[in-house]
Amino acid sequence: MTLHRRFFILTAIMFGLSACTSTSIERTSDATAVSASTTSVYSESSLTSSSTVYFSYDNYNIDSIGSDKIKNLAAIVKMNGLNVRVEGHCDERGTREYNLALGERRANAIAELLIINGVSKANIMTVSYGEEKPSARGSNEKSWSKNRRALIKTF
Amino acid sequence: MKHLNKIIFFLLFFSSSYFYSQLRIEITGGTDEPIKVAMVPFEWTLDLAPPFYLHEIVKKDLESFAEFSVLNPEDMLSYPTLEEEVSYRDWRLLKVDYLIIGSVLKSEIEGEVNISYSILDVSRQKNVHKALMMGSLGSLNRIGHNISDRIYEKINGIPGIFSTKIAYVDKPVANKESYDLRITDINGEGDLSLFLSSQPILSPDWSPDGKQIAYVSFEEGTSRIYIQELSTGNRRALKHEKGINSSPSWSPDGNFLTGVLSKGGNPDLYLYDLKNNNWKQLTDHYGIDTEPDWSPNGKSLIFTSNRSGSPQIYEINISSMRVKRKTFEGTYNARARYLPDGKKIIYVHRRKGVFHIALHNLKTGKISILTDTFLDESPSVAPNGNVIIYATKDKTTDTDVLAGVTINGKTKFILPSASGGAREPAWSPILDKY
Repeated sequence: MTLHRRFFILTAIMFGLSACTSTSIERTSDATAVSASTTSVYSESSLTSSSTVYFSYDNYNIDSIGSDKIKNLAAIVKMNGLNVRVEGHCDERGTREYNLALGERRANAIAELLIINGVSKANIMTVSYGEEKPSARGSNEKSWSKNRRALIKTF
Repeated sequence: MKHLNKIIFFLLFFSSSYFYSQLRIEITGGTDEPIKVAMVPFEWTLDLAPPFYLHEIVKKDLESFAEFSVLNPEDMLSYPTLEEEVSYRDWRLLKVDYLIIGSVLKSEIEGEVNISYSILDVSRQKNVHKALMMGSLGSLNRIGHNISDRIYEKINGIPGIFSTKIAYVDKPVANKESYDLRITDINGEGDLSLFLSSQPILSPDWSPDGKQIAYVSFEEGTSRIYIQELSTGNRRALKHEKGINSSPSWSPDGNFLTGVLSKGGNPDLYLYDLKNNNWKQLTDHYGIDTEPDWSPNGKSLIFTSNRSGSPQIYEINISSMRVKRKTFEGTYNARARYLPDGKKIIYVHRRKGVFHIALHNLKTGKISILTDTFLDESPSVAPNGNVIIYATKDKTTDTDVLAGVTINGKTKFILPSASGGAREPAWSPILDKY
């Protein structure tokens, strides 16, 4: 369903509700539909995903495969004067807001390694999505291991 | 003849379900002996047929959490409308604890109705509540939920929650890039979208007056806290800081929000002044501090911190800023919420690798596990403190569903979601003042 169509339907629902006549039983709260603002919506299309580093459970240590990836990537970033966006992700276990904090630790660990490898701090931004953007569905270790990751995107 | 008419209407409408609903309550667990209530179909003196039957609405409401059992009209021995018509013997025979009688009368005002009713205690043969309500014919179902709330309150001594709402985030299984902040009446009616985004939405929290919802949205590519007014749909963004901006929680007076910012290098609790639009730091620790919730008296906050090495629940006194650890059992205790009495909390507790919702008495230290589902999280307490709603995983279908449990752990229910992606429930405060 497109956003437009959805909004239309919601407006129709709301109109239906407001058509009810007034009542002396006071209702303190009546919800009105609103659609997402289209002006500042972040777009992923301008980013090219360059690398993914995986982590073990409840952990933000980068293994040797990961650090080799970061070393290579750092060289490319420096050579081409690119900017980097690092996204930290978690698996679904644990609470969502606590996982936001864990995802940030993963993103920060990658950012630090990029800096050690000569990328300027000013060219790196980090964001944690916690468990909100899994790459694999399923409540098992196979999916979880794919979701505990940091995506390093260059632009 | 009058009675026969009522019964015919009853039969006509009996099989029809009145509303489409995305979420609806399905009882899954056992219960105690419920309180037995009989509501005689109200006398109807209007010329047109009733759009809804109040006794059907009340029956559905009161039986929601299996605390009550409501007698079907066809099992009744008499159909009194007035107190003097009541033969208590009939109701004692049917083992009814409380009897509700009343009538819907024509009003002087066009399109309006007057409803008068009484709640009678059968064993004491006493009228415990008498009420007159006025409203439009179109709001008859709301009036029904209000009557349910009153019956609940008069019998149980705590407010009924049948006019409350639940905010939740819907992430359909079929669409990876759709996050929908929705709101639904607790009875499954009026499910509406508040905000739709291609980027994650999380942590909805109601303002104490029930007129606004604060939440986190990633629509700008990074987390930011927004406040949305329900009546207008207007949104207001809180001042954004570098890093995580998460976990909004309204102060009981509605003037402040606590949130979590990581601008200092790691997540700490901050206080946002809604008048002056600025953040003030509350905790400063190199560990993770997150998931704050205000005590009902506004004097302290509970939050999750891993300052001891694993996530545990702590309490901070707002005036003295003294921090005290509250949980010591297990290596994962997180996202705590106070009960309305401020003396108990619920939180996510991991035991043998499994996440459940625990109830913790702060005075006695007693902990009881309330749930037995899989990957339980995001518990939210009903404003009367009697029911908890939380998010869980349906293992068989691998979908996100909302589930609930009464605070005594006896009645369990699920709210199946059409999209397979309901999560992060937040129970509203009491909304209707009758």
